Amino acid sequence: MTVAGSFAPFTYHALGHVYLLVVIALCLRVGRGPVLFAAIVSAVVWNYVFIPPHLSFSVLDFDDALLLGIYFVVALTAGQLTARIRSQQREEQQREQRATALFHLTRAMAGARTLDEAVDAALRQADELFSARTAALLAGEKGGLAAHPAGSFHLRDKERRVAEWVWRNGREAGRFTEVSATAAGLHLPMLRAGVCLGVFAVCLPPEAALTTTEQRELLEGFAAQIALLVEREQLRAAGEREKLLAESNRLHRTLLDSVSHELRTPLAVLRSAAENLGGDDGARRASLVAEIRMATSRLDHLVANLLDQTRLESGAVQPQPDWCDVRDLISAARRGLGEALAGRPLKTEIPDDMPLFMADAPLMEHVLANLLLNGVRHTPAGSPLTITAGLDDGSGRVFIAVADRGPGIPAEMREHVFHKFCRGSEARAGGLGLGLSIVRGFVLAQGGEVVADDNPGGGARFTVYLPHMLHGTVPNE
Amino acid sequence: MNGDAAKPKVLVVDDEMQIRRLLCFTLEDAGYEVCEADTGHAGLAEVVHSHPDAIILDLGLPDMNGVEVLKRLREWSTTPVLILSVFGQEGSKIAGLDAGADDYLTKPFAGGELLARLRALLRRTKPAEVGSVIQFGAIVMDLERRRVTKGGQVVKLTAKEYALLRLLVSHRDKVLTHRQILNDLWGPKAERQTHYLRVFMMRLRRKLEEEPDAPKYFQTESGIGYRLVSDGS
Repeated sequence: MTVAGSFAPFTYHALGHVYLLVVIALCLRVGRGPVLFAAIVSAVVWNYVFIPPHLSFSVLDFDDALLLGIYFVVALTAGQLTARIRSQQREEQQREQRATALFHLTRAMAGARTLDEAVDAALRQADELFSARTAALLAGEKGGLAAHPAGSFHLRDKERRVAEWVWRNGREAGRFTEVSATAAGLHLPMLRAGVCLGVFAVCLPPEAALTTTEQRELLEGFAAQIALLVEREQLRAAGEREKLLAESNRLHRTLLDSVSHELRTPLAVLRSAAENLGGDDGARRASLVAEIRMATSRLDHLVANLLDQTRLESGAVQPQPDWCDVRDLISAARRGLGEALAGRPLKTEIPDDMPLFMADAPLMEHVLANLLLNGVRHTPAGSPLTITAGLDDGSGRVFIAVADRGPGIPAEMREHVFHKFCRGSEARAGGLGLGLSIVRGFVLAQGGEVVADDNPGGGARFTVYLPHMLHGTVPNE
Repeated sequence: MNGDAAKPKVLVVDDEMQIRRLLCFTLEDAGYEVCEADTGHAGLAEVVHSHPDAIILDLGLPDMNGVEVLKRLREWSTTPVLILSVFGQEGSKIAGLDAGADDYLTKPFAGGELLARLRALLRRTKPAEVGSVIQFGAIVMDLERRRVTKGGQVVKLTAKEYALLRLLVSHRDKVLTHRQILNDLWGPKAERQTHYLRVFMMRLRRKLEEEPDAPKYFQTESGIGYRLVSDGS
């Protein structure tokens, strides 16, 4: 009695169908080769075990041969079909993986605020995804190829030369390619609109192989993404430059407009006063002369400010520091201003132990004169001005403050008033808005600082801070 | 040699014709005789030719630097020189003063200022005032008795303070550079010790000025030196 004997109720034909079912089921799990193998094995077993006489190979009759034939055709076709489905499935999976990787890359890069951060994020993603070391080399402004510091793949002599070649030719090179195949890294060009913006270098582990085109395409996708980023950054920088240029043009126009106005007004006064003087019988002589003097002092001040600003901008201001006595500076500034301070009570509060300090006296004289004049310009006639000086306890610096009792400066304007061509909204006619910008320029040039704030009790206060150091002893006799 | 011997003669060396012409008006109205030159070379030739009592020299001449003109002039002449300069040229002002100029003016200047400087320059050439008494405001300095009074009260000065005051008084209304003062009082080694000067000037002002913080007489020339203004205007 055999095992097959127990299947007596079934005909061996029915059993053949069961075998066929198993082969088809196998198609779902394994590849075409194993299915074919299983088909052959099951056919042999079927013949040997089930077709009478049992346990020996028998010659097939026509029916059995036909069944066997169909059996193979079905197995082969089913195997073919499932294999195709499975390969499609695999492709789909890989495509999805790639899309996810690129999506993560774009998201990481979008979250970055600067190009550096974005390249950093891209390289980190690439490192993780390919378990490789990567590097991004970007075309520098000076024309060379500079490796981004975030790269984990440090290019040396040969790799560097390969990268340069890729950059110049806009074609891939290195491992897995036809050019310089012995290089450790694969170097891909970052192309945008035919221009090579840099090189994306990947150093895969030695045992890795770029078997599928998908992997290569993914790498190329990374290179393209970084290229896009670099291009966007370049466009943004170009836009920024454009904006700066427009701003500088606007400043030039403002300068030209206000300079021509400020110059022409006193010139017109001078001209018409001179003409009137020519035909004058003497009655208006004094007032015409006064007009001429006022116009010339206005012109003088304007030209001085323009020259100071120009000297500052051209770097021609080179302070010659020497020991200064703040009283000297104040009295020289007052003397220089002359009539401009007429009718203004000016109080000075200087402690007896006020130390000497190092500064450029003529520059400081201009600083104080400009601050005083600024006070005169922006406060009602006759209102007082105060100059205080001393040693600032907190910072150990020397300070000189010019305070007024005018309307004061709104907090949000305090930084802005030191910009050139900035004029107070309620400023009366006259002035280019250069005075305070010169103050700041001269003070900075001497290693100091100037700040605007509220004068306790009302008004504005400008404080100049200068470094303080001790001078050598002074012989008594 | 000269018809009107009482009239002091001033040479104006400036390349700007308009400036020369207006200086002429101012000077002639003030009773000076004026001669002109528009270049450094012409100026030097004019000094030889017309023997001026004072020279007004612009530092920015077309053919040669004003300082160079001064150096050449000082090789053979002690005629007082007033240099004209513009702001921002402290360096060239000091170079001019060191090269032998007696005073300077910064353009643009007022006519009155120019005449005051010129008067001070011409006074130097008068005989020295040894033993005389000099007064400015309420301050009287008796050079012979080495005594200084302010409003009749004797002011006690240390030897150095007195020496500084004496130096300023003997050059009153004229600028003295830091270097000149330091060299005179403390010797050539102290030429750069400007803090000595600041400290002593402060003491002098406290003893002699009504308002030491707004001095009338002891005036500072920023970055250059000091000037004793005797009329205190």
